[in-house]
Parts: sequence; structure tokens; C-alpha cells
Amino acid sequence: MSVPTGRVWKFGDDVHGDDGIIEFAIIRDSFGKEFDEDALRAMCFRRLRPEFPAEVRPGDIVVGGRNFAHHNHVEVSVAMRASGIAVVVVESCDSGFLRRALNHGLPVMICPGIHGGVEDGQVISADPATGLVTLPDGGALRARPFSERMVQIWQAGGSIPLLEREFAARRATQAQGG
Amino acid sequence: MVVSMAAPQTIAQKIIAAHCGRDHVEVGEYVTVTPDYTACQELFWPGHKRNLERIGVDRIPRPDKAVMVIDHSTSAAMGSHHHETHRTLRDWCARQGIENFFGPGNGLRHLVLTERGFARPGTLIFSDEGNIASIGALGALNLPISTEVIVAIIQDGNWIAVPPSARITLTGRLGFGVTARDVIQTILRDCSPDGRLLQCCVEFDGPGLATLSLDDWQTLLASLFHSGAYTGIMTPDDRVLDYVRARDAGRPWQAVRADPGAVYMTELTYDLSAIAPMVTVPPDAHGAVPVEQAAGLHIDQATIGFCSNGRLDDLREAARLLRGRKVAPHVTLYVTPGSRGVYVEAAKEGILGDLAEAGATILAPGCTTCWGYQGVLNANEVLISTQQFNYQGRNGDRTSRVFLAGPAVVAASAIAGQIVDPRPMLAEAAR
Repeated sequence: MSVPTGRVWKFGDDVHGDDGIIEFAIIRDSFGKEFDEDALRAMCFRRLRPEFPAEVRPGDIVVGGRNFAHHNHVEVSVAMRASGIAVVVVESCDSGFLRRALNHGLPVMICPGIHGGVEDGQVISADPATGLVTLPDGGALRARPFSERMVQIWQAGGSIPLLEREFAARRATQAQGG
Repeated sequence: MVVSMAAPQTIAQKIIAAHCGRDHVEVGEYVTVTPDYTACQELFWPGHKRNLERIGVDRIPRPDKAVMVIDHSTSAAMGSHHHETHRTLRDWCARQGIENFFGPGNGLRHLVLTERGFARPGTLIFSDEGNIASIGALGALNLPISTEVIVAIIQDGNWIAVPPSARITLTGRLGFGVTARDVIQTILRDCSPDGRLLQCCVEFDGPGLATLSLDDWQTLLASLFHSGAYTGIMTPDDRVLDYVRARDAGRPWQAVRADPGAVYMTELTYDLSAIAPMVTVPPDAHGAVPVEQAAGLHIDQATIGFCSNGRLDDLREAARLLRGRKVAPHVTLYVTPGSRGVYVEAAKEGILGDLAEAGATILAPGCTTCWGYQGVLNANEVLISTQQFNYQGRNGDRTSRVFLAGPAVVAASAIAGQIVDPRPMLAEAAR
């Protein structure tokens, strides 16, 4: 998989997940149903950047400040993933957000210094596997690299697609008497 | 004699090491752990079921480790799809041979885990929510992994990054009319904005702990996650050991304490005697102010219960105020016991009768109003609650407002019809 390189949407500190990136009051009735990706795309970041749903492009990168996406249900991650966001790079966030996002195929990199290193609309690259973030001025920042398992989950598009592939391989081996 | 030169470890490090077959793990290290249990609620079950079918999982490897609890949609309502969830989850558990299935009315996963002997000192439990850190009161480590619980159930394990730890030392004793909820609200006020507890396992420690009940311990831990902390835990004392022995049914456990010299990212001390009754003002979970700053605000609804304050001590505190008094006519008061066990004990003590006589409505054990499933708010209405969240739209219309407080403040406010300091009423009740 090539290193994600894309245009930055830059957000500040303490961006609320459930009441900022998405809107809890709208998703609450749908818990347990298939994710309504059209609805999640339409609400993604609209409270903070009304133009986001219409203007976001596949491969764009979200940059956040401190404590990004706090108080997030899993729909927060699905909304960004469904909007085409390739990677999220933040100053800091809670562990739960990182896990939920990766579980749904969206890599989140914790990279102190990112917020001051890039402006909205500029292009950066960010590689979860190595932790290397390349800034518009050619400078580089280092995030903590993903583990091998995390890279596998990211590249498979989430935990469930990865397990689906691994179980299929196991069944194929068993069918061959292996 | 061989002297171990291993670096000192925190409680979280020790429990995690023991669950990945190691003596020692480093903070930040990625490891794969095998849990003692994985606790899962019903709300996202339809998605889990679709994923199980997609992957082609016919049998899970350890049905004895799954603890499946219907707590969010107790008494599935007309117009919702949750009754179907109850049926399919119940049927799937039966087919898998999962004995630890707890249907509607048994209560919250948090209390099912503690009251029924799953959470024991040194156990590692994957769960779907950060507030289940309340099981840390029994020395059990909650690792919240949201909808990824199904991955842990399928694999009998999952990856984790070993969290750093923080230590909060409690000294002194709570003053009259002050509760554990006021303590955690104060801690969130101080620690959330600068992120000093972010990603941490918070260990509570110090002589103040012995002055608090085990229900109080759970209240402190249940709301920690608002600070961005990953989980929390305490060193078991004799009360904990007695509580667990009465429930372990012969299942193994091992009390774990931190090594002297273990490294903490943050160390804080709170004097319990300096804490005052607090109210957390919307929309931030760290917006706590002394109650007098919110006093006088007209309220429409009041709710007591949940993983934060739905234990017996909380209902006792509410009853102390409501006994012999009436809820203001313009206020609706809902009380939700955290579990069937709490419900039964509260009934035996006469608490439920006192609350009902005062005008409270007792709901079935579960999450009920906390996520807006019941008690939905209209535009501009005001709720004061012991629930977990106060952001806009949590309980209904986005213009409604949710103020958070402990059971004493909520009960006194329900009586007064406006937010009040509970201490004058409590003093009167004590006379």
C-alpha cells in the first residue's frame, strides 16, 4: 500500500466526536443497524466546517489538535472513513478513538508538532507503518509506528475484513488437508 | 538466592504481563493478551452478528468467557428494533453454549461483572465501554475496546498497547453532604483540559480510600474516562477481598499491587475534606462548578442511577433526602437501580417505597434515560442527572440542557424544583 499523501483539513483542540464530528441525536436511533454511510458522510464535520461534506475528496487527510475526537461513538470513525479520509494525524487523542478508527480501517497517528507544522489545504504524507509524517516544507515529524498487526488491520480495511481473509485462508488450508 | 532486577511495574503492567505469558511488559509496548472475560452489551449485537456471519465463525473458542448483557434497551419499546436484537442475541448465546447471558432487567454490565464474581482481583476483562473501569474497584482491569469486543470473542484475545499509569492519592474524609461523584467531577475539572490523564490507567491510592465505600470507589472509576484516561484501578483492601470471596465460586484470582518505584506519568493528591458539592454545567464533562454557582436554575427532570451512581449507597443517599418529602409538581424524577441486586436490596430496605411515595418513578435496571432511550427531553428543557454525559443532543432536543451531579444534589433539586445545595435539606433530615 502506498504512503497516504493528501490535502489537509485542519481542526483545532478538543474537537468533540459525538457532538462535533457527527451528531449523536441523529445516530442514536440507528444503533445496531447497518451504518448509513450516506447520512454519516452528510453530517461529517458539518457543524465545524459546513463545506466539508461537499468538498472533501478521497485521500484527504484530517489534522487535529489536542484531545481530538473525545467522546466518540464508532460512527465518528465510520463517518470520516466513508468521507474518504485516508489518515488522521493528531497532537493527541484518547486510546479508544485510535482503536475504534483502526477497527474500521481508518488509521490515526499521534504526532506531536503536527498542528503547527501544516496549514489547512496543504499537502502532507503520513505513513502509519513507519510513523513518518512529511510536511509541506520538506520537514519531517515522527509518530509512533503501528505494530505489525495494526498495519495488517489498516491495510485490510479494518479488523473484520482482516479476520474474514484469515478465516478464509484457514478454511482453504483445511480443505486441502493441510 | 537470585535477586530479580526487573524494573518496578504498575498494577496495569502486572495484570497485562500475566495475561500475555510474561513477567514484565514495558509501557507503550504492543502485546496480545488473553482475557479472563469479554463483556458485551446488546445495542451493537446486530452488527456483531453480521460480522460473525461474514467471517464465517460458527463456534467461538471460549463461550465460558463471554459475558453478554442486555442493559441499554431494557423493555424494548414500540417502534424500536431492539426486541429483535434481544431475541437473536438470546438464541445465539444458547447455540454457542454461553451460560453468562443476562437478559433485560439484570442490570448494567458493570454491576453484573462485580456482583456475580466475574471481576476479581488481577482479572483482565475486555469490554465495550470505558466506564466499565468501575470494576477496577475490585482490582480487575477493564480494557475498553468498543465494537471490537467481537474480535476478542472470536480470537480469545486481542492486541493492546500497554498504557502508561497515573496515580491519584486521596487523603482526608468527605465533608457532610459531599459524595464520591463530587470528587470525580472535581478531578475531571482539573485534569481534562490539559490531557494529563490521556491514555492512562489511573491508580487511586492513599488513606482517603478507606473512608469511602466500595460503591464510592466504583463511582470514582466509572467517570474517569471523560478525562481521556483509558481505564482505572485500585489496590484491593480487606473489604474487597471479603466481597470477592463471597462471590468467586471457587474461580481463581490474585490480588495485585504496584511495585515500589513504579513509574507514573502524573501524580496528584486530593484532600477529600476540601471537596464541595459540585454541578457539571453543559456541554463539557469537565465543566464542574460548586453547586451554589448553578443554584436557582429551574429544572424539568431529574434522574438518578446508571453506571456512575446506580448502586445501593447512591439510592440510600437519595432516599435520605426524599423520605417524607415530595418531588416538586413540575419535575419528573426517574430512579434507575444499577442492577437487579441493587433493586432487591433497595426494596428490602424500604428505599424504593420511600422514593415512590415521594413521587419518583422507578425504572427497570439498565441504562434507561442515560442515553436518551427513555425520558427524552423537549426543546429548552433542563435535566439534572447523575448520568455520564451532558453534551448537546444526548437526551433529546439539542436546545435541552443536562447538568450532572451526585445523588444528593439531584434528589434535593428534584424536591426544590430547581438546582440547590443539598446540605440544608440533609441537615434537616438528620435532625
